[in-house]
Amino acid sequence: MDSSNDEALDIIITNVVATFRVRCHLNLRTIALEGNNVIYKPDCGKVLMKLRKPKITASIWSSGKIICTGATSEDDAKLGARRLARVLQKLGFRVRFSAFKVVNVLAVCSMPFSIALIDFTVNNRPIASYEPELHPAATYRIKHIKATVQVFSTGSITVTGPNVQTVATAVEQVYPLLFECRKPLRK
Amino acid sequence: MASTSRGDALALPRVQCPNHPDAILVEDYRAGDMICPECGLVVGDRVIDVGSEWRTFSNEKALKDPSRVGDAQNPLLNGGDLTTMISKGTGSASFDEFGNSKYQNRRTMSSSDRAMLNAFKEITTMADRINLPRNIIDRTNNLFKQVYEQKSLKGRANDAIASACLYIACRQEGVPRTFKEICAVSRISKKEIGRCFKLILKALETSVDLITTGDFMSRFCSNLGLPKQVQMAATYIARKAVELDLVPGRSPISVAAAAIYMASQASAEKKTQKEIGDIAGVADVTIRQSYRLIYPRAAELFPTDFKFDTPVDKLPQL
Repeated sequence: MDSSNDEALDIIITNVVATFRVRCHLNLRTIALEGNNVIYKPDCGKVLMKLRKPKITASIWSSGKIICTGATSEDDAKLGARRLARVLQKLGFRVRFSAFKVVNVLAVCSMPFSIALIDFTVNNRPIASYEPELHPAATYRIKHIKATVQVFSTGSITVTGPNVQTVATAVEQVYPLLFECRKPLRK
Repeated sequence: MASTSRGDALALPRVQCPNHPDAILVEDYRAGDMICPECGLVVGDRVIDVGSEWRTFSNEKALKDPSRVGDAQNPLLNGGDLTTMISKGTGSASFDEFGNSKYQNRRTMSSSDRAMLNAFKEITTMADRINLPRNIIDRTNNLFKQVYEQKSLKGRANDAIASACLYIACRQEGVPRTFKEICAVSRISKKEIGRCFKLILKALETSVDLITTGDFMSRFCSNLGLPKQVQMAATYIARKAVELDLVPGRSPISVAAAAIYMASQASAEKKTQKEIGDIAGVADVTIRQSYRLIYPRAAELFPTDFKFDTPVDKLPQL
């Protein structure tokens, strides 16, 4: 298992996606004209606002729903969301921060060994799927915790799940399966 | 098939032989009788005769068989409806004064399955372009029918689903076609076919076998006009390369293309990377990349009985 190894595996969270609402209708034109660091996309009907401090990109819709991406941790995401709401408040809208929810967490992890993808797929038949023509990684979907693990032949894996805890569980679960299909010693 | 004996499921008053009430009557459909097997008494009479109405003298499979009515049914796929239509009339009485035909209604005959029939036609057209045999087409039709009835992919374009079914059928029959080959005969993009493919596998809860390099060798080599020796050598090279794990993470198609390149360059029939890339649907830089990976151990990869036109050390190095 992960914890019984000599070196613990580093799970690096690269992206946290969260959504929240500001409970009021937003005028996208005003935001586009008066806000800093904004990109207006009228064909999509949204405004992209990038924040510097927690490095975050937010898609803002006129209904008041906002999707916030690019954060590196759940707290960061919440902080960035609040900052964003503050910016909108300063622009003159009557915002109310509500319904904050972390929707997706993406993490990467690197195994100290290479993996034989074909063996991995054959061992875990219906749950793992590998289509070399479409994508170079094998996807392993863990249904009950709703996480997806993409396994590359170099040994790096990317895990996506609804929260950080799920991601950690997913790595724990998939590690023994990967260990079985490792390739002896990197060249 | 000459005689059938009815079961007890029907609640109609059973005819019975007066002498042998327990005996099961034997039906003679030719004469339209029901006969008791014990004593031979003809019990039922005037049973509808299912024999043919006239005699036909077949003359080497004439175009139409006069004792058959209508098209060959395809009950497995169409839900077996027996609807009839009024056809366009012949003769002068069916046209009104302006020359238009009087009865114009050739409308929907089976609206619920119209999309499915259309899809079957599309599947046959696509399969025809790449000369796929009948069994693959049948399998594709079956898959499409299953997917269509499930309705889980209802929003997707039927052509996309049909193309993905064709891809799956080829895989299941053991003769996989690359996505690019299916793309070439379909109007749908590779991305969309790939998406539908994954969705269909999930909807039908099946999985397919992984593709190997050997599946494509015979097709690519014959398209390039390479002799059998080169094809066998390329198959061996590709298999060895995968076994020795010289090409981790490379698509089997790219590895196959690189193997063909190496084998053809070592033989008398040299093919350029561009030609091979054209046939396999691989970019020539990709072939170059994979070739670079297998080149260092080229000597081990060739089969032992291979006749070299160009020796291993003179192989092109890119």
